[in-house]
Amino acid sequence: MKSLVLENLSKTYFDPYRGTQFTAIKDVSLQVGEGDFVAVVGPSGCGKSTILNMIAGFVPISGGRILVDGHQVKGPGPDRGVVFQSHALFPWKTVAENVTFGPKMRGVGKAERARIADEYLALAGLSHAAERYPNELSGGMQQRVGVVRALANNPDVLLMDEPFASVDAQTRMTLQEELTRIWEERRPTVVFITHDVSEAVFLANRVVVLSKGHVLAEVAVPLARPRSWTRLVEDDGFKALSNQVLQLVRSA
Amino acid sequence: MTDEAVSFSPLPYRRTLAAVKFIAPLLALVVLWQAVVTVFAVDPRVFPSVPTVLRAGWSTIVDGTLVAHVGASLWRVTVGTVIAILTAVPLGIAMGVSKGVSAFLTPLFRFFSVLAGIAWIPIATLWFGYGFGAITFVIFNAVFFVVAYNTLMGVSTIPMPLRHAAAALGANRWQMLTQVLLPGALPNIVTGIRTGMGFAWRGLIAAEMIATNVGLGYMLFLARDFYRTEVIVFAMIVIGVIWLVLDRFLLAPLERATVERWGLVQS
Repeated sequence: MKSLVLENLSKTYFDPYRGTQFTAIKDVSLQVGEGDFVAVVGPSGCGKSTILNMIAGFVPISGGRILVDGHQVKGPGPDRGVVFQSHALFPWKTVAENVTFGPKMRGVGKAERARIADEYLALAGLSHAAERYPNELSGGMQQRVGVVRALANNPDVLLMDEPFASVDAQTRMTLQEELTRIWEERRPTVVFITHDVSEAVFLANRVVVLSKGHVLAEVAVPLARPRSWTRLVEDDGFKALSNQVLQLVRSA
Repeated sequence: MTDEAVSFSPLPYRRTLAAVKFIAPLLALVVLWQAVVTVFAVDPRVFPSVPTVLRAGWSTIVDGTLVAHVGASLWRVTVGTVIAILTAVPLGIAMGVSKGVSAFLTPLFRFFSVLAGIAWIPIATLWFGYGFGAITFVIFNAVFFVVAYNTLMGVSTIPMPLRHAAAALGANRWQMLTQVLLPGALPNIVTGIRTGMGFAWRGLIAAEMIATNVGLGYMLFLARDFYRTEVIVFAMIVIGVIWLVLDRFLLAPLERATVERWGLVQS
């Protein structure tokens, strides 16, 4: 896993209704060190998904630079793994085939792919579902597959775009705890986009608050790991940090 | 012990029931037909009785003419359909990938899907002469536009996150095509083939009446010249049965297999 640097990133769209340029992102700079976990929060329309889409290479940038491991980003690539809100699993592939899609694309052989599938499905607690199809899984299981599919391709940076926003509250807490466990085990470099303040504080080492296309504040989260909801839900430090971030988001 | 009861009503039984339900109305029609012909003493030159149709059918089987006609028709359908699929699917995918191109071509393809088939018979005979070429062209035409249009729709309705996911996992252009676009569009492609072959089969019969000297359509048309109503009716039955068998045992299962296996909701 390698570092990610955003330098004076900006994005302007042409607004066809007004006939003017619309600035979605203005001058965002951010450094995410190797093995760090950064959450980006902000109200809807603040541009957080636009930033992720630019880092992923799905959307061209208007100004500035994006560097992954020192190399400038040009379009999508396997150095940046993406976990989508809509899970985006291939419906015509089994769970195991989804997880090993990345390795297959770079020509990894069948036996090695089977080993990778075993390893990452075990990591997600999904070994029993290897031969099933995505539409046969629950929403929580689909998201688990989405996470390990990105991880199994061994990316430099893991980009997560509100991955747990569309599952129920109970499942979401479980998925958050599993993600912290996986992160503590493997230490991937993570950028996690969310509008959920407590999710951001629970997961990240650092929370970036975004407002109207620029960085409003960065808040460090020095909470001890491993983190679990049973402990943190009554933890004063967690509550204070969540409150602080919430105030920032609401002022945004 | 309801579990046991469930396990004792296995699939073969339900299939037999479905087959009976499907065939019973057809048998009822045959009974009604014979009853009407007998009761009203219908002139065989207007409409034949069931036994005369069966005898006529049997004699075409015995003397080999039925096999020749069916063989010619199926061969034309197969050739026309295969060529149409091989050309329409790549074209549909190429168009579906680009939003601008697909938006531009969609109206054209809808237009030609409607026009596909028998409307092309006159000009096809001018281009290819009477025979295999003109008829295969009509089949090709019926299948091509429907399949191309459905492929285009299939590709353009693949959710963007799926294409993004493949790109972010390192898929190159060729892999995007074979791993995402083609399988993603396959349910639509299969639906297109089923619809297109339905048009093609009707178009084939019409084309064979005009443009050839062998085939089921020709068999119908030739029998008319000799007032052989029993041969006409037999040929009509064969045409209907062949299509039902093709659709029920080849195309419908194929469509079900792709659509149901992957779920209708994609991502």
